[in-house]
Amino acid sequence: MNQDINIKKLQKNCWRQSKVPGEFMLQMRVPGSMISAKHLERVQYICQTWGNGNFHVGMRHTLNVPGVKYEDIPAVNDYISEYLEEVECDMCDVDMETDAGYPTIGSRNIMACIGNTHCILANYNTQDLARKLEPLVFPSHYHIKMSLSGCPNDCGKGHFNDFGIVGISKMVYHYERCIGCGMCIDACKKHATGVLSFTEDKKIAKDTCCCVGCGECATVCPAGAWTRRPTKFFRVLVGGRTGKQSPRMGKTFLNWVTEDVLLTVIGNWQKFSAWVLDHQPVYMHGGHLIDMAGYDKFKEMMLEGVTLNPEATVAQRILWTETEYRAQINVIPLSEHPKAGPRK
Amino acid sequence: MGYRLSYPEADELFRKLSAEYEIYAPKLFEKQGRYSDTDIVRYDRVKRAEEIVWDRKSDFSAKEVVSPITQTIFYFTEDEYRESRTGAKKLLIFLRPCDINAFEHQDKIYLENGGIADVFYQRVRDRVRFVLMECTEGWDTCFCVSMGANRTNDYSAAVRRDENGLLFSVPDPELAPHFAGNREEPFEVRFIEQNDFTVEIPEIPNKDVLNKLKKHPMWQEFNDRCISCGSCTVACSTCTCFTTVDKIYDENAHAGERRRVAASCQVAGFDCMAGGHEFRTTAADRMRYRVLHKVHDYKARFGDFHMCVGCGRCSARCPKFISFPATINKMAAAIKEIVAAERQ
Repeated sequence: MNQDINIKKLQKNCWRQSKVPGEFMLQMRVPGSMISAKHLERVQYICQTWGNGNFHVGMRHTLNVPGVKYEDIPAVNDYISEYLEEVECDMCDVDMETDAGYPTIGSRNIMACIGNTHCILANYNTQDLARKLEPLVFPSHYHIKMSLSGCPNDCGKGHFNDFGIVGISKMVYHYERCIGCGMCIDACKKHATGVLSFTEDKKIAKDTCCCVGCGECATVCPAGAWTRRPTKFFRVLVGGRTGKQSPRMGKTFLNWVTEDVLLTVIGNWQKFSAWVLDHQPVYMHGGHLIDMAGYDKFKEMMLEGVTLNPEATVAQRILWTETEYRAQINVIPLSEHPKAGPRK
Repeated sequence: MGYRLSYPEADELFRKLSAEYEIYAPKLFEKQGRYSDTDIVRYDRVKRAEEIVWDRKSDFSAKEVVSPITQTIFYFTEDEYRESRTGAKKLLIFLRPCDINAFEHQDKIYLENGGIADVFYQRVRDRVRFVLMECTEGWDTCFCVSMGANRTNDYSAAVRRDENGLLFSVPDPELAPHFAGNREEPFEVRFIEQNDFTVEIPEIPNKDVLNKLKKHPMWQEFNDRCISCGSCTVACSTCTCFTTVDKIYDENAHAGERRRVAASCQVAGFDCMAGGHEFRTTAADRMRYRVLHKVHDYKARFGDFHMCVGCGRCSARCPKFISFPATINKMAAAIKEIVAAERQ
């Protein structure tokens, strides 16, 4: 089979090369991991009409159509224009062309757990937030892996993303409503950080320093003595990644930031990436970009133009712990160190 | 004859009444629910008629107005003590028929049981006037009709809400003059005659059946289902149990206050005696105790009615979806089974 296919061009159209020559896989974004179920019919149609009849649930919550023949790609691109229009433009207010498939690689979908539209533990509406974040990061050739979790359980595994966004609540203790049953103490000890204890008069004392804001106390309180402050707060983890060389877990960059702060910070990612890569987009993990620039530079650029809310705290420094699959993988000649910023 | 008041007119009435009365009603507390972005309705002071919540059953009952969850009953220093003070105004409580009937049981326990009237209850209760909120629909957790608690004559005023505002009838001559001058309109209060859920109220014929019922396997399921959190009893309109706690002021160990704090027979340790002996050590034991108390023991002691008024707040607040009326039905079936076996 004589094929002359520009793989890179297709990749930027969100088509992934298969080991089967001439076949490709489409990865459809689902920002916030929730869409109207009606789209499933469309996906089924694509799989059965142009794909190999199978469907793959993408590792980043994309809808994957494997086994599409190279020559069918234009037809599929044409068919998904409605999906792109409805999911990207209408649902997320993304400004993009929709008539020739995805305008850039879409596989780094913004993932989200089900959030507080369903989950009794979640602290905010993850879908709503994902839809606000989507136009800040897509479509762009500077890619970012982001995952949203409704609570510090982090079912969305934000700890292994460039940005892990975790919903937290500032709790209010209504002293006079407390019956001193100790349910919150047990729940906090069992599920969270154990910051609650009895006072001598059988009320609750809290070590506020180490409260992770999960809201377990409110969930178990029989008397409504613990409630969440109406303002939503977030913990932002950065630099988490998987990978062959040095996977690592993300660490807290920001704690107790409001949505406004969060959106401004994430809005700065494009500028930061462009500076690190000197305006030459490369498909790299965000964590590597942070490494190249150094945390201080990252912090400086990501917080540009941000007015932090009074409750917000920022990591002064970050000490990641990497799993080095080859010892001293980082210890290399200075000349081989990746450079950030303007190239000569 | 009744009185028709628009909301602005009702606000004006409330304003005038406030010289003599404190007005309590079910009020919405936004985003203070057990789960994120859920609201809660509980009793609190209202200044405007529109603050009263009609379209939802209050999560917590009106008993909190008279016997708050936490209440200081006296202060002490060395060899002296002083009773806590209480307000002088009368309390106008907006509540439904089941809630008014629940107060009969509250009164029985606090004022008659043991032949001693509880002063801390009485000093508030004497100042209470009921405003009956007409209730003809109820909610899916209601079973007041089965418990015979759907009607009452014990109210100073009754009120219906409709699209034109509020319609009052004011049988209490003490309250009536405040309404004079408002537009007159015929109004006869109606009561709910049927709930969605019907409960078979069991009669336990003799002590032998009661003892067999206590050992019946029907209670075992609650060891798996009930988490002994006490949400049911805190929300219950008829539960009266409390404990006392001394608060010793940190700076001066010779001074402090004694408080009354709501307690729950569902929470482990409730019946723990000096020496550590407990009567009911499992969730099933505690559940059995509560159910029998509400639909057998209380009536056996006081005669006329079962304690439970079918307000259904216990079911509505249970985080594990244990339905109290369904449990009563299970108990009725178990009693039938025991009685049938005895006959054989």
